[in-house]
Amino acid sequence: MTEKIDRETYSAARVRALEALLIEKGIITGETVDKVIEFFERDMGPFNGAKIVAKAWNDPMFKQRLLDDTPSAIAEMNLPRGMAGAEGEHMKAVANTPEVHNLIVCTMCSCYPWPVLGLPPYWFKDPTFRARAIREPRKVLHEFGLDIPASTRVDVWDTSAQIRWFVLPERPTGTEGWTEEQLAAIVTPEAMQGAAKVVVSVV
Amino acid sequence: MQVKFEQFAAASMLGSDAAPPRSNGELLFHRHWEGRAFGIAIALSKKGHYEWEDFRQGLIASIAEWEATHCQVDPDWDYYQHWLMALEQLTLESNLLDPVELEQRTAKLLAKEHQS
Repeated sequence: MTEKIDRETYSAARVRALEALLIEKGIITGETVDKVIEFFERDMGPFNGAKIVAKAWNDPMFKQRLLDDTPSAIAEMNLPRGMAGAEGEHMKAVANTPEVHNLIVCTMCSCYPWPVLGLPPYWFKDPTFRARAIREPRKVLHEFGLDIPASTRVDVWDTSAQIRWFVLPERPTGTEGWTEEQLAAIVTPEAMQGAAKVVVSVV
Repeated sequence: MQVKFEQFAAASMLGSDAAPPRSNGELLFHRHWEGRAFGIAIALSKKGHYEWEDFRQGLIASIAEWEATHCQVDPDWDYYQHWLMALEQLTLESNLLDPVELEQRTAKLLAKEHQS
């Protein structure tokens, strides 16, 4: 235990020493480091996708626009720059309904719609997952704990440099009258991949 | 298509043992220094002080070395220890920092912490 604490204290001091020296020598600035961290924590992540989904749930006209022309609909929102531009320009949202369930897969992680979904989970890049998701999506979804009724069609979309798909999940019951903020809080990246449903967690 | 350097750097790690820990699509930092170390490594490469691939290879090598001598579920596993090791090694190799200077500064900070 003592050894573990020592390692922690040492590592923290080591990183502070590294950063301080690099800054003193004018090699980097603290702001450059802050900006890199901010990029991952603020500009790009599943919280952006969750806001888009929440807005679509509360605003049927926006939802229609989102499905018809995803990049322009996203551009209407006050999201960090780049969301609807260079990175998001080929984005396409597909809606889950009682009739159809959508699942997205991707071969290249660089093609994952990061600005909206954040960093992909480890299984996403797995070639076995991808091959099986296309061949037997119901079985793969079942392994994720998601059973799709036989009456619902399953569509699998392969994200590529041309089109980056993301799923507009079904709004869960019991969320009537919720604000966009409340709704965004329950949308998970897995739901926007089609690997899970959005559920209202019991508090 | 334009890809931000940050995005390129993180993407290059995914799908391997070198992939950073994450939770629900977001990077997962358990301690403050992990986030700083993450930011410093990317910032240095972004500003052209070394090739990102060199950092990535250093990280992979450090992880591989650990895996060769530990079992997979060893609770002592700590991703950012390897990140820090790779960062330290590359800043020294690239002559950005002097090893003696780094030792001295670390010791000074530790001594200060000990006092408080």
